[in-house]
Amino acid sequence: MLSLKNVAVKYGSFTAVHDVNIEVTSGEIVVLLGSNGAGKSTVFRTISGLNKPSAGDVLFEGNKINRRSADQIVQFGIGQCPEGRKLFPAMTVQENLRMGGYVHRRKRDEIKHSLEHVFELFPILKEKRNDAAGSLSGGQQQMLAIGRTLMSKPKLMLLDEPSVGLAPLIVEQMFEVIQKINKEGTTILLAEQNANAALKIADKGYVFENGTIVLEGTSEDLFANDEVRKAYIGA
Amino acid sequence: MEILIQQLFNGLTIGSVYALVALGLTLVYGILHIPNFAHGALYMMGGYITWMMMTDFGLHYWVAIIISIIVAGLLGVLMERLVFHPLREAPPIHDKIAAIGIMLFLEAFAQYYWGAEYQSMPTPYGQVVQIFGLTLTMQRILIVVSAVVVMLLLYVFLKKTFIGSTIIAMSQDREGANLVGINTNKVAMLTFLISGGLAAIAASLSAPINLVFPGMGQLVILKAFVIIILGGMGSIPGAIVGGYILGFSESLGATYISNDYKDIIAFIILVIILTVKPTGLFSRGGH
Repeated sequence: MLSLKNVAVKYGSFTAVHDVNIEVTSGEIVVLLGSNGAGKSTVFRTISGLNKPSAGDVLFEGNKINRRSADQIVQFGIGQCPEGRKLFPAMTVQENLRMGGYVHRRKRDEIKHSLEHVFELFPILKEKRNDAAGSLSGGQQQMLAIGRTLMSKPKLMLLDEPSVGLAPLIVEQMFEVIQKINKEGTTILLAEQNANAALKIADKGYVFENGTIVLEGTSEDLFANDEVRKAYIGA
Repeated sequence: MEILIQQLFNGLTIGSVYALVALGLTLVYGILHIPNFAHGALYMMGGYITWMMMTDFGLHYWVAIIISIIVAGLLGVLMERLVFHPLREAPPIHDKIAAIGIMLFLEAFAQYYWGAEYQSMPTPYGQVVQIFGLTLTMQRILIVVSAVVVMLLLYVFLKKTFIGSTIIAMSQDREGANLVGINTNKVAMLTFLISGGLAAIAASLSAPINLVFPGMGQLVILKAFVIIILGGMGSIPGAIVGGYILGFSESLGATYISNDYKDIIAFIILVIILTVKPTGLFSRGGH
């Protein structure tokens, strides 16, 4: 479904990411593990078209998308729930969700239907639908960010560190919902530092260090790997 | 008492014009985070085009205004495409210098093409009416009514339509807007189109009671900056409320303090607001 072939990204003369090869098959949950600054977010930004690769190709469903703009890529069916959430803070929860459905704006019924679906996944958002997004707690904002991304009905959803800064109980709920979204037919590419929780739900994973992939394998392989256990699980 | 009411109505008139100009300025600020110094030049061009359409082509006032809205709006779009878009990655000071450059260019153009003389704009609404013992000209009533109608239409557009709310979304988080599939280039062009159109409406409405000349935008744009600083940079309600606050202060100040110091009032307000509440009345946290 999505493949990155020898992708490199530069910020000015600084190479943030190099020789990245990733393969995501339809229906999977794939996790990118790595510490802060390892290059996970840069890879996500590049897939979404916010950064352009300086070398290599990004292919989605067989088509090259590396020269496409960010808004076109959303139309192709890649939705990103970005680092820092990037909500519209002064808009209400419901307005944020409606904006999430922007690419389907001409199909009113579809938007209404998606909205109900998101409220089903996150009942708290329905309760707070008339509150400003900026007034929500961190966990609720993360739910809203995921909900907003779902509104575009992506085939592939990129989730950049959804567990960051959240209480353990909320993290658990978050991963349950991610799994549910995947079961409903959305392929998921997840960036995480919380390897323990992420590998439990993932099919396979890649480990990032200093801007490139140092290790890849199935979740079981990575979970059993000593290096991964030492660096990301702490056991 | 009659003088007071008369002056309050004058304040409402001036305030309406100020609010329209400040709205265009605040919309562009919200999107690009640059103070568009060239906005006053769009106001001036709007005034000249309406005047030219009426005097040279003999068109009706309303037809002339519609042409003026289109031309000034397109000039705004052209500004965005040719100047601000190529500078989007540049340090912010470049935008500001470029905006001043556009302003000087358009003023020089107006002086070259239409001459430096002051021109008066004819209006079909010159008659004087008496309402509740007040003496009002139809033109002033027209300014207030049209401004309120334009503001209501703008509100409905920004709040109730998908296209309009992209402007709001982009002003709150540009990348977030991009990631829900909004084409931020198109939104920037749309914003400049609306901004130029608002400037043309304001200039065409107020020109019959003021005059048309190449420097007509200068004082207006300075005051519009005071208004959006007063109301909070990028805030839409702030621009409207700020516009009327300035309009009332000026007309009351001119009557009860001194007409000679009328134009200073805006800048006294600026000093006070920057001392007391530098973020403005309707500041949006974050920026």
